[in-house]
Amino acid sequence: MSAELKHKQATAPAVQVRGLNVVYATNQGDLPAVRQVDLDIEARKITGIIGESGSGKSTLVMAMMNAVGKPGQIVSGSVEVLGVGDMLSIDRERQRKARGKELGLVFQAAQNSLNPLRRIGHQVLDLGRSHDVKDLRDLLRKAKDLLTRLGMDADRVLASYQHELSGGMRQRVGIMFALILDAKIVILDEATTALDMLSQASVLEIVRELHKERGLTTILVTHDMGVVADMADRVVVMYGGEIVEEGPSEFVLSHPAHPYTQGLVRAIPRISGDIDRAVPLQGAPADLKTYLEPGCPFYQRCPVAMPKCQESRPTSLAVSQDRKVACFKVTDHD
Amino acid sequence: MKIVMIRFVKRLIAGLIMILVVASFTFLLVRLMPGDPVQAKYDQLLLNGLTPIQAMDEVRVMYGFIPHQPLWIQYVHYLSQILHLNLGQSISYEGTPVMRIILGAAPWTIILVLTGTIASFIVGVLAGVIAAIKRNSLAGSAITISGSVLHGIPLFVMALFLAYVLTTIYAILPFGAPYNAALTPGFNGPFLSSLARHALLPVFTYALSSYGGWLLTMKSSVISVLGDDFILASEVRGLKTSTRIGYIAHNAILPLFTILALSIGFMFGGSLFIEDIFDYPGLGNLLVNAINSRDYPLMSGAFLLITVAVIASNIITDFLYSVVDPRIRR
Ligand SMILES: Nc1ncnc2c1ncn2[C@@H]1O[C@H](COP(=O)(O)OP(=O)(O)O)[C@@H](O)[C@H]1O
Ligand SMILES: [Mg+2]
Repeated sequence: MSAELKHKQATAPAVQVRGLNVVYATNQGDLPAVRQVDLDIEARKITGIIGESGSGKSTLVMAMMNAVGKPGQIVSGSVEVLGVGDMLSIDRERQRKARGKELGLVFQAAQNSLNPLRRIGHQVLDLGRSHDVKDLRDLLRKAKDLLTRLGMDADRVLASYQHELSGGMRQRVGIMFALILDAKIVILDEATTALDMLSQASVLEIVRELHKERGLTTILVTHDMGVVADMADRVVVMYGGEIVEEGPSEFVLSHPAHPYTQGLVRAIPRISGDIDRAVPLQGAPADLKTYLEPGCPFYQRCPVAMPKCQESRPTSLAVSQDRKVACFKVTDHD
Repeated sequence: MKIVMIRFVKRLIAGLIMILVVASFTFLLVRLMPGDPVQAKYDQLLLNGLTPIQAMDEVRVMYGFIPHQPLWIQYVHYLSQILHLNLGQSISYEGTPVMRIILGAAPWTIILVLTGTIASFIVGVLAGVIAAIKRNSLAGSAITISGSVLHGIPLFVMALFLAYVLTTIYAILPFGAPYNAALTPGFNGPFLSSLARHALLPVFTYALSSYGGWLLTMKSSVISVLGDDFILASEVRGLKTSTRIGYIAHNAILPLFTILALSIGFMFGGSLFIEDIFDYPGLGNLLVNAINSRDYPLMSGAFLLITVAVIASNIITDFLYSVVDPRIRR
């Protein structure tokens, strides 16, 4: 019995998203940027969230921290974080404490994530004081270690203002801020996008090392299939605010089931192995109109669409033990 | 720090050039004035029975330059006099050096502008922060409206209204004169309190007239900072609310220093109005009187000194700005 309980705890998801809906109020109407998302983030794994720009990845991860900015609003759902509770309903002070300490986020605009009028070192101290860190000198030491690992001159960086650092350096500083309070769940939203290929590879390598060392639960948001292939244990594919496919990355990448995932995989020369055979995805990414249509959001661009796909929306169904797909073509076998 | 100094020196040089331009301008103004006041004074002195040489000496002392000399010699003479802080003698205050009259009037204006600006800046900025953070609430809207209304009322209307209410209807405050003439000036209680009571109405009017501007500017500045990515980042990192408000306020207030520097000229303009209405003996009042009595030496002296004051405060504000904003320091 107790062994069973232990096993259950060990495999309990680090983050459990249920029925999440987020809308942005725009002048053309409400845009449902995240729609009816159910998602389990497995503890101690690297989960890649992939999709074209505008598919709702950033909104999803911001909603996990209950930090969706105006004009966005979380309409419904729950985000159960292991050891914290439902981020969407616990009181504000506990939410604040969880941010940074339990959930570390490097968000997409990490290059501009620093107060331009304060030295980086001071901002580290501000963070420590906000989270009641007793030993602030130790915190600075940790900051230095992380910065050094990320390939920077730590003392110089801590004494610098944001404008004295390059875009890539700022992004690494953003990563340092997400890790410094030893958050167990770390979310990197396009955290390496501003870096050149070489430093991107080295930063990802460090992320992978830290992930292993600290037993982290890592969420990597990216639009680069190559990054997912290199790093992720699991992959979550988003389109038009919905999760269209998810599963272990090796299987999803080698045998993509959803036509959208297939398109993404075909578009990556590194995966198809041959640049000439890389086929870019046809058509434009989902926009407000697509969001509001009753059918499958991918219908317009889908090479294998059926009449049914225009009328109703496919729900996400398990096709094997740990793999889910939202596509009539895949799930309507019988 | 070196960059700050270079910037400072550049500003200083630009300021000196500006002062030279203004000095040249006032020189030409007096020389080219219809009816040539210098010549007129000279003729008048001759009529009063002075010899040409006496009259010429008299005029030179008064205006700082000599008629019947080539213009450029007059100009050089005038500039060298200014360098010796000699602005000539007043006509209306017979024989008193202009410099002494101006230095007597300057403190009143400085008190008025300085206290009025500091008071309105502090209150306006704080109210602006609240108006921005609580902009969707009743209190926030009320604060914003107070700013818009006060900002929209012309200065002289506000001054007359306040004077009417506070000195005539309720007679709480004295009107006119900088202090009760029955008291002996000095560092004693009754005199100082009389001084403060007399200053209250002009200072209050002055502060009230600039409060709305600070409030509205600070509000929009805070709102724009609230939309910045680093504010969202500070929320995502779980910084304390007090720390975040500090970040917001610090970033939002910086543009206001630029505006402060730019508006120092206008502040003297406002002071001129108020001193005139409340008959308060500052530089503005002096300038108006000088204009009314055609006291050209006093007029150009006051004009020159106000210019110097504006330029100097601009340079100081700019220097302070580069100290508070690290981005300028590179
Ligand atoms: N602040 C905002 N206001 C209005 N619409 C927004 C805002 N932020 C994002 N959106 C919209 O929400 C959708 C999802 O955006 P986002 O989550 O940023 O996608 P991704 O991270 O996958 O690129 C997009 O259609 C985008 O236009
Ligand atoms: Mg994004």
